[in-house]
Amino acid sequence: MRDTSKRYQPVTGRAILYGVLMIVAAYYLLPLILMILTSVRSMEDIRMGQLIAWPESFSLEAWRQAWSEVQIGARSETGLKPYFINSIKIVIPAVAISTILGALNGYVLSFFKFRGSDFFFAALLLGCFVPFQAILLPQSQLLGWLNLGGTIPGLVLTHVAYGVSFTTLFFRNYYVNLPHELVKAAKLDGAGFWTIFFRIILPISTPILVVTVIWQFTQIWNDFLFGVVFSDPSSQPVTVGLNNMVNSTTGETRYNVDMAGAIIAALPTIIVYVVAGKYFVRGLTAGSVKG
Amino acid sequence: MSVTSKKGLDYWLPKLVLSPTVAIAIIFIYGFIIWTSVISLTDSTILPRYDFVGFEQYVKLFQNPRWLSSLWNLVVFGTLFIGVCMVVGLVLAILLDQQIRAEGALRTVYLYPMALSFIVTGTVWKWLLNPTVGIERFIHNLGWESFQFDWIVNPDMAIYTVVIAGVWQSSGFVMAIFLAGLRGIDTSIIKAAQLDGASLFSVYSRIIIPSMRPVFFSAFIMLAHLAIKSFDLIVALTGGGPGNATDVPAIFMYQFSFQRGRLGIGAASAVIMLMTILAILIPYLYSELRKPKDA
Amino acid sequence: MAELNIKNVNKSFGTTDVLKGINLDIQDGEFIILVGPSGCGKSTLLNCIAGLEDVTSGDIMIGDDNVTYAAPKDRDIAMVFQSYALYPNMNVRKNIAFGLEIRKMPKDEIAAEVERVAKLLQIENLLDRKPSQLSGGQRQRVAMGRALARRPKTYLFDEPLSNLDAKLRVEMRTEMKKLHQRLGTTIVYVTHDQIEAMTLADRIAVMKDGIVQQFGTPQQVYDDPANIFVAGFMGSPSMNFLECSVVKTADGFGVQIESQGKTFELAADPAQADLSAYEGKNVVLGIRPEQITHVMPHVESQPFVTRVPVKIEVTEPTGADTLVLTHINGQECECRVHPTEAGNPGEQMDLLFNMSKAVFFDAQTENRI
Repeated sequence: MRDTSKRYQPVTGRAILYGVLMIVAAYYLLPLILMILTSVRSMEDIRMGQLIAWPESFSLEAWRQAWSEVQIGARSETGLKPYFINSIKIVIPAVAISTILGALNGYVLSFFKFRGSDFFFAALLLGCFVPFQAILLPQSQLLGWLNLGGTIPGLVLTHVAYGVSFTTLFFRNYYVNLPHELVKAAKLDGAGFWTIFFRIILPISTPILVVTVIWQFTQIWNDFLFGVVFSDPSSQPVTVGLNNMVNSTTGETRYNVDMAGAIIAALPTIIVYVVAGKYFVRGLTAGSVKG
Repeated sequence: MSVTSKKGLDYWLPKLVLSPTVAIAIIFIYGFIIWTSVISLTDSTILPRYDFVGFEQYVKLFQNPRWLSSLWNLVVFGTLFIGVCMVVGLVLAILLDQQIRAEGALRTVYLYPMALSFIVTGTVWKWLLNPTVGIERFIHNLGWESFQFDWIVNPDMAIYTVVIAGVWQSSGFVMAIFLAGLRGIDTSIIKAAQLDGASLFSVYSRIIIPSMRPVFFSAFIMLAHLAIKSFDLIVALTGGGPGNATDVPAIFMYQFSFQRGRLGIGAASAVIMLMTILAILIPYLYSELRKPKDA
Repeated sequence: MAELNIKNVNKSFGTTDVLKGINLDIQDGEFIILVGPSGCGKSTLLNCIAGLEDVTSGDIMIGDDNVTYAAPKDRDIAMVFQSYALYPNMNVRKNIAFGLEIRKMPKDEIAAEVERVAKLLQIENLLDRKPSQLSGGQRQRVAMGRALARRPKTYLFDEPLSNLDAKLRVEMRTEMKKLHQRLGTTIVYVTHDQIEAMTLADRIAVMKDGIVQQFGTPQQVYDDPANIFVAGFMGSPSMNFLECSVVKTADGFGVQIESQGKTFELAADPAQADLSAYEGKNVVLGIRPEQITHVMPHVESQPFVTRVPVKIEVTEPTGADTLVLTHINGQECECRVHPTEAGNPGEQMDLLFNMSKAVFFDAQTENRI
């Protein structure tokens, strides 16, 4: 008796464990699955059918609507497409500039320390924590003075300014763990500042480069606050477009179009997550554990 | 060789390379915080004006019932959001730490919402929580006609829907932090405890969890930070409503500054938000910096 | 010429003085070892010589050039690091060639130089590997190769063998010595391992607390230590230090020791120290374990040798000898005896104290008398 209970008890324990984990997984996955299913259903099907139901018919009409046809606000161009393109135009330069700055800063702050450089690094970290509400007003003033208010370059500048704290943190924390002798050896070999950076340090920075690019990409793509405050209709990113689309449609809410739009807005970051999830998680934890 | 030869380009280059970021820090971070603080002491309305009125805007702010209710909402939301995320994250991390077969896949599933924009999360949950099309109707159609789940349109309950969506998005992230913390623990400690006859439960409750205090701390900081800044999620989910039922300081600040043209009071609310974050952060940083530094 | 002269070099980090008035005159072709406990400033001194750290004051001369403020690359120095610091993104060939490329050496000359060095260090078969594919010993060789390729006037080594296992370390030590004999260039070598120091060096600089305690040949440092620190640092097992009082003996001075309640007088060799000023006072007797042996007639008949019965407390066989631990004057004392002569713990044993190489230190200043 005792023997059998001992043998089977862990097995039932494992079964419960896996059961719980699967149920939790369902909680996280269900909204995404429902989004996808709803986006390919017709409105009639949605009205008549169940929330959780296999689509009666399969149609990409809602996707087409969300992408290029739905009227968002009073814009002449329709659909999320122009917003999506704006997001791309913002993300690429902002990620590139902030990552390059972060790599150079991390390099200097790790290998070319000077009086006050450690203090500066500590001071810069406030940029990782400052609630953006505390800088919104002056930033909109400044963008106005620079004639960048409501423009894509203005948003790029904003994202660079408030992203560089994170990128510097990432690179610096990666570089301080490299052996300092590498740079010393290169100096003795006669290499200068740029040669050491481009021929020794940058080639071994791939992991942190990926982490930083993914982090910045996700942060900037998903940004809403800067997008809603510092843009005008011609420069709004896709998050603002989606929010306007969902909240401004008159008449019946077309959930299939809303969900298609939500997926479109989420797709780039989801793809990054699926392709490079390991680096994404590393960025999250690195961003949370401050050095 | 002359004494000055070393103070050439090689000496200045690192400083030169760092200088754009120094400028960013001085202008965009510190300068702007000061600027916002200055505006909060003026009677600015649509445009910044520099007529100082002392702390009048702060007095007005704390006499404003909307501000007070937004603060209270933040307390309710923040406490539940942080608490539930921590519990869910810790439990998931411990469950995943039991040599689970499909750990990688499950981890990916738990964490993916973190890759989404809060706007997307808000849009989805707004639909799911909508009683006429979402979960409530689904349960009704299953035959339970009296089932009620209308929190999102109920002013007393709407703030909890923000918690639901927020936890959905962020708890996987807390799981990831805790899991990393669990994996960082020296396994020989656990083996030693098991040799001492400790059960799995007491190994976790008496040895592992207490030794993860720093991990709890940094998870708390991250979540508190997210809660205080939360803006997008509420805008997309409830728009601050119904009424002002889910108003939080971030929305208050945005509306007063950019929609109602009351910069002074908006700036004052931003300063209060900053102070709140600093009040949480400074003790944390202080304890971090007191640790021995790495090389 | 590559004489290396370090003149009154001081180095401070903030308020901490790491180097205090270092003076070293190093001849061309000398193998110099800087040795001392961790934190004594030896690595900082090496970095200062390399130009990787600025000195706070003082001068560093290489040959006739004052290089105190010269950039590392202008000092014609190569350095081998403890961690080897191989460029992880480059294969061995590139690692060796890097410094030559930077110095714009023509491609064919670089190739020839890499071949030469690879042959010298027997790493020809490793040239296309990445550092991560090499064993510790191979990495060490590549690091040496990188230094050799530039044919500098001076080599600096920062604990180059400390990451190797014991057997490999001994092998590389021998090779290092051969290499120096072949190259004949000046080498400054930092280690905390006093055996490495003894075996490799032409001269040793023993450092502590940012000060050179003694600078001399290995034998000088071993036989004629300047103070208790140097005496205790060099030699393994360490020298015994016994505090004892000075007494007048029949033909000079000696020290009084006590073993098992009985006192003995050990006559001091006047050639080693003049103890006249210390009569009646306490001094520290420094005597190496090999100077306290079992009874051998040919030794016992020598002057300044005294037979003392002791109680054996612990024995540690090392193979060639057995170390016997006892208490003299209430202080631990290790003695080196032949394995067949060593008794068992708890037993009584007669030992010969040979004072002809014993040294004496002032009990207060810890300096040599």
